[in-house]
Amino acid sequence: MIIQFILCAGLGFALLYAWLQRRKSRVVSIGLMIVAAIGILAVLAPDASTSVARALGVGRGADLIMYCWIVITLLVAVNLQVKILQMQHSITVIARELALRAPMPSSPVCTGSEH
Amino acid sequence: MSYPDAVVVDDCSTDTTGVEASAAGATVLRHVVNLGAGAALQTGITYALQQGADLIVTFDADGQHAVGDIAVLLDVQARTGADIVAGSRFLGKTVGLPPARRLLLKAAVLFTRYTSGQNVTDAHNGLRLLTRKAASKIRITQNRMSHASELVDQIGPLGLCMVEAPVTILYTEYSLAKGQRLSNSISILVELLLARLSRS
Repeated sequence: MIIQFILCAGLGFALLYAWLQRRKSRVVSIGLMIVAAIGILAVLAPDASTSVARALGVGRGADLIMYCWIVITLLVAVNLQVKILQMQHSITVIARELALRAPMPSSPVCTGSEH
Repeated sequence: MSYPDAVVVDDCSTDTTGVEASAAGATVLRHVVNLGAGAALQTGITYALQQGADLIVTFDADGQHAVGDIAVLLDVQARTGADIVAGSRFLGKTVGLPPARRLLLKAAVLFTRYTSGQNVTDAHNGLRLLTRKAASKIRITQNRMSHASELVDQIGPLGLCMVEAPVTILYTEYSLAKGQRLSNSISILVELLLARLSRS
């Protein structure tokens, strides 16, 4: 079927990408490869996901895949949030460093100020 | 009384704040991007430490503090030897504080007492005095508005001693627009919760 071909191509690309990224982060790379490989299996043998789902107490394979997808999406969201916080911290450090390097010198105070 | 060593942190203001503060005799540190009140505070404190300051007084720029109260903080520090002297509007007085805002501030005090274990009477007062020792130990990482709670939370674990001093807070239309609101306090709670999660 055409859909199986399209999905396999997409997942195969993800698998390849994960493999190429293995030096950056081992954990993420291996995780993504496992997910993509399971995805390819589920596409090629749709009945397999159903039997796994039954074994886990979920009715249909499609439901199981959706539940897994929700969990993965949440993990990705948390991961991105952490990355954003790290980036904000870096921006703060840079902006502070720039501010500290170039203080606008205080101009001489006008005469007549109280002392 | 005037204090010559004034540092103004210009947090990327779009008006002429920086120029006017510089013309008035302050040293102006400018953030190239807007980071928030907490970040500005830390920048000012870091600069003061670099300049060799022994005592650092933080002072909000929205016109709610009285310059005369700085002498009160200095006096209390000299008498008690505390590491931090925090201004308290509830030991002192407030002018023009709306009842709803009073309630919100009191709730914030209860929250801060609970989370920090410090017996404070005012939680979000921008007027405070830090000794060099306290200023070099405290790290403000909450860039936006949660820094006030963050600062108080660090006092106990760092083994610092804090006392409060009565100060006057003047509420004007301008300072009210700039100050904390109920909606803000919810985002502060979320910020603090996230900070705790990322720390553990």
